[in-house]
Amino acid sequence: MFAYITRRVLVSIPLLAVALYLVFIGVSLTTDPRADFYLCLPRCQDGFDRITEVYNLDTNVWLRPFIWFGEALTGDLGESTTIGQPVTEVLRTRGWNTAMIAVPAFLVSAIFALLLSVYSARHQYTFGDYFFTGLAFVGLAFPSFVLALVIQNIFGVQFQNWFGVKPFNTGRKTGTNFLELLRDITLPAMSLAILFISADSRFGRASMLETLNQDYIRTARAKGISERSVVWKHALRNALIPLVTLWALNFSALLSGSVVTESIFSWPGLGPAFITGLQASDLDLVLGIVLLTGSIVVVFNLIADVLYGVLDPRIRLN
Amino acid sequence: MADTSEATEIATEELRDAEVHGPRDHGNPEQAPLFSAGEVEGLTEKPKSFGRLTWEKFIRHRLALVGLVGLLVIVAAFFIAPYFSNYAFDQRNVRDRLVGPSWDHPFGTDEIGRDLFVRTAQGGRYSMRIGLMAAVIATVIGTLFGAVAAYFGRWVDVAISQLINLVLVVPALLILAVFALYFGRDANRLALVLALLLWTRIARVVRGVVLSIKEADYVMAARAAGASHGRIIGRHVLPNVIGAVVVEVTLLVGTVIVLESTLSFLGLGVQRPNASLGTLVADAKGSIATDPVRVLMPGFFIVLIVLCINFIGDGLRDALDPKAKVEGGKFDSKKAAKKRRKDGAKAGGIDGRTRGSALTVGGGRLTGSVEQGSNSTPGAP
Repeated sequence: MFAYITRRVLVSIPLLAVALYLVFIGVSLTTDPRADFYLCLPRCQDGFDRITEVYNLDTNVWLRPFIWFGEALTGDLGESTTIGQPVTEVLRTRGWNTAMIAVPAFLVSAIFALLLSVYSARHQYTFGDYFFTGLAFVGLAFPSFVLALVIQNIFGVQFQNWFGVKPFNTGRKTGTNFLELLRDITLPAMSLAILFISADSRFGRASMLETLNQDYIRTARAKGISERSVVWKHALRNALIPLVTLWALNFSALLSGSVVTESIFSWPGLGPAFITGLQASDLDLVLGIVLLTGSIVVVFNLIADVLYGVLDPRIRLN
Repeated sequence: MADTSEATEIATEELRDAEVHGPRDHGNPEQAPLFSAGEVEGLTEKPKSFGRLTWEKFIRHRLALVGLVGLLVIVAAFFIAPYFSNYAFDQRNVRDRLVGPSWDHPFGTDEIGRDLFVRTAQGGRYSMRIGLMAAVIATVIGTLFGAVAAYFGRWVDVAISQLINLVLVVPALLILAVFALYFGRDANRLALVLALLLWTRIARVVRGVVLSIKEADYVMAARAAGASHGRIIGRHVLPNVIGAVVVEVTLLVGTVIVLESTLSFLGLGVQRPNASLGTLVADAKGSIATDPVRVLMPGFFIVLIVLCINFIGDGLRDALDPKAKVEGGKFDSKKAAKKRRKDGAKAGGIDGRTRGSALTVGGGRLTGSVEQGSNSTPGAP
């Protein structure tokens, strides 16, 4: 197991490096941080030279990423021009903000998906099952921005006193006290959770159904074990195996920040920072965020695979 | 399907044509059954082709039929709508700015007086065109890479798996933004870039299926009989993959439409004056408090289209599941068998996201870090 994890981590590092290299090249080739300076060139030679120096623009494009790698290894990810802070600082605050809606959204979606899948599997082809399956279908068809706008319109606009809606402004400070914070978190977390509940509950229902049809469940029932124990102990534990790996991946997706939902609800998380950095060709910020989200994806994929092996001993990791 | 094709590899050509009604006969309409329906009345019936069997099962699936009809209606409406309007999609009419729904403008107008009814229809066509194109391109790339990776294995497999991981680690938005700046943003290029992002899921699914087929006895039999790589892939492997691929493509069209509308919403997709359903929502989102209908109408169409597509995909999955044929009403009543069959199909691989992983694990391998599928793209949720 330890050897497997070590090997996977070692494989992931060059993968991340290649990804960052390609991102660097891609952004460098399509944007020019000196764009504003060309028009005024003889007069603003000083600024032009300073930007050239900061971004190492006199070095070959294909070699420039290595300078960034060297600095990144010492813990220096550069300075974000759009936010005006060191990138490490931006990642810390923004990552924390993203986690504040990612964790509740994840917990809510996991709990609801679990309950719904157990309910639907136990009451297969009843009205309740059809109802929730239909809801899941509709939820799956919603693009995140439509769902967020609908939720914002219903709970933010029609009931203004419940959750105030803020203008499209990503720099807003998070709430000063716990209740205000909770009020701000609720809507974005809810719209993210709904998307994940829709996907997970259909998956969980199928997994639970498959488990309930297994021979060992019939055996357990034949032995006279109570239905509650059969469902919640014998069946659920096995049905959870594929669901747990799915959750690990969901959590990584949530932690990476969601551009759309966070932007619509003016939440100062990683998503809006990424999109503004991209539009302003803030190279250091973009690279920093790719490094963070890429690491999250890699780590949680590893966790998902390891969990799969731990929960289901029939699967051998090698 | 599987056992019949094993037998036929040894059998003679004539016997094969007469006996096998598997997927491989699809596209061979003039096959002669041993007994035609006319010869022995009531004893035998004309064998149905794989395509026909699938179609019959498909239209018995109520939701799938609803989805198909719904989608056809929407598409037809998108194409016919402009003929009922006096306006072009980019025609400005400043005197009629922001008017509400009326006979002249069924969905109202936007800030510069363009008719939203025509723009919604145009946007819908644009979205669907991009969705279809990107899905087809992604399928071609994905099927090719997945089949090659699984069939040849070893370093080819490792290389392609790492390529897939790379696509998953780099945020989709970034790739799209960079490509858009480099190549421009018309529909064809947008579809191409979206396809370059989305082929990975199909590749994983195909890889999983091919891995399991590769070890099947009938492939070994074919190899023993001296069949070439090309013949094995074309006659034995691909027909078995098609079922899984068809389902994935259908669902992929929905995914692309959602992704494209999200990109357009963020300003990274379709450029004005062209409209897609995503840009229409983005254009109107500032006035959601005063005029929610203008914002939600295009969004409603996205949801409707994707819903129909997902229904169709679900029906296809059930119809194409080969297990359904074997189980069909052996002991139980027909209805119970149908229910059981449906669940079997669903348990086999429900949500597209985990489908690849289920198959990969079934194939006995768990390599590559992002096997389980991932929605690593910030912006997707």
